Amino acid sequence: MRPIISIASTTLGEAIRRKVLLIILLIGILFLVIAPGLGVLSARSETTVLRGMLLGVIQLTSAVIAVVLTVYMIPNEIERRTIYTILSKPVQRWQFLVGKYLGAVLSLGLMMVLMTTVMAFTFYLQQRDFTAVPELVKAPVMYFVQMSLLAALAVFFSTFVAPLVNFFLSGGMYILGSLFNPFFQTLDQSPTTPIGAKVAAKLVNVILPNFANYNVQNPIINPGQSIANEGAYYFQVSIYGLFYIGILLVGGILVFDRREV
Amino acid sequence: MAAAIETTKLTKGYKSRIHGTVNVVDKLDLHVEEGEIFGFLGPNGAGKTTTIKMLLGIIYPTSGEGYVLGKEIGDMDVHRLISYVPERPYYYEYMTGMELLKFYGSLFGITDVKKFEALLEKVNLHRDASKTISQYSKGMQQRVGLAQSLLNDPKLLFLDEPTGGLDPIAHREIRDLILSFRDEGRTVFISSHELSEVELICDRVAIINRGVIERQGKLSDLLSGGRVEISAEGVPTQFISDMKINDANVRAIPGGVLLDMPEEADITAVIDAVRAQKGKLLSIVPRKKRLEDLFVETVRDKSVAPAAAKKTLTVESGDKP
Repeated sequence: MRPIISIASTTLGEAIRRKVLLIILLIGILFLVIAPGLGVLSARSETTVLRGMLLGVIQLTSAVIAVVLTVYMIPNEIERRTIYTILSKPVQRWQFLVGKYLGAVLSLGLMMVLMTTVMAFTFYLQQRDFTAVPELVKAPVMYFVQMSLLAALAVFFSTFVAPLVNFFLSGGMYILGSLFNPFFQTLDQSPTTPIGAKVAAKLVNVILPNFANYNVQNPIINPGQSIANEGAYYFQVSIYGLFYIGILLVGGILVFDRREV
Repeated sequence: MAAAIETTKLTKGYKSRIHGTVNVVDKLDLHVEEGEIFGFLGPNGAGKTTTIKMLLGIIYPTSGEGYVLGKEIGDMDVHRLISYVPERPYYYEYMTGMELLKFYGSLFGITDVKKFEALLEKVNLHRDASKTISQYSKGMQQRVGLAQSLLNDPKLLFLDEPTGGLDPIAHREIRDLILSFRDEGRTVFISSHELSEVELICDRVAIINRGVIERQGKLSDLLSGGRVEISAEGVPTQFISDMKINDANVRAIPGGVLLDMPEEADITAVIDAVRAQKGKLLSIVPRKKRLEDLFVETVRDKSVAPAAAKKTLTVESGDKP
């Protein structure tokens, strides 16, 4: 356990000093701060627009950070030969990979907490309504599970593909899993779908991580909507996320264990 | 003496679409004794780093076997007793020297700050312990690398090009540190291009070329067979040539003759002959064989006559090539 904690904390230390991540984070924060000003451009209710914009900025910024942070993580360690000084110590490869992943998730969490805090302040200053803030914060919590899943996906790919390929692969799967998973689900469950398309839809639905599970912003943005049995839903999708993360990490470990570094 | 490293036919091959399987390291038989400084030499791409990575268990051999400190390579218990400093290492630049030791120490479960301080003092970095790695010069980075490699009090150290790209002063500091490791009873395995450095500190060496060990043995044995140059005047060149000394070259020089002969040849007979001819002996210069000569000879032989250079020549004390 000790090597995992050490590697995770070193990864965190490095991530919070990476200029490219800090720039992305700063841009995200900047958008959170100016979001109330941009709200006037929309014809919809000011609160709805503000909530939508704030959550959208957090989600998009976190997704970019998650991918940029993780795609270079393992390849950089190999290129800079740091991995050799670590693996020549009594550190197993799986401990290294898990440590790197946990470090990435910690960094991501830290940056998301910062953005969420800025979002809460911005919202409060604009709306002067503190009671709505806890409701608003629910979404970033679910986004954190979503980003942890995305990070696990990128770490898995980073064990066998180049960073640039990984960037598009992980990013592409995130977009597919966020936007099209509900479509594949509908296709799979519809009685009118031909059997071939049904099998294909089911396969895609099973293989592709369902990132759409965590897009819980609609009931928060639109007060009229709600998630039935909200607590159970959050618990269920969190377990799904953890399960999927576990599978991706085990897959990554199996590949990385055999990989020549 | 027990073997710190022992390999038998250790091979690492990579599949190539054009050439099929290419053996980067081919049937490597290596023997490193405990407590010695062993130089592992070879040109670029000879297979030095691949061999080290196999011995560390970072990459896997295609065939053959290897033992490090009596245990099969890849055994995690061995990792507690060995350490490695790679060529041109990168350490997390945001860390200070002290933080770096704390990080690597934590991988062994070592948290003793006094130990970290003592190691920084050993590599003469105690005054720079709070500077970040990014503020360190190349030599300082190499020294902090050596400090981290001593954290677990290793029995065996692998140093890949430890003095590569360093200035003469840093060279000397690193060399003195490596010599101190041997004095402490550690085995040091050095992969290097710096032949003069290796010649100064290594007990035994192996020369690898295109994945094959070409020579291996004690440095003193491998470098035996030096030559002697004798110059004299008042002696005809033909007279010296007529002495029929094996492997000797005679040539005329301004005002005399120069004889280049093996150090084992009968020098006294030549001196006596010069005197008998009423000639004048000008100089007798012994020319020790240098590691560089041996290295170039070995590597060049291989590239000129690959078939003839296939055999591995092992030289031990009293067993001349």
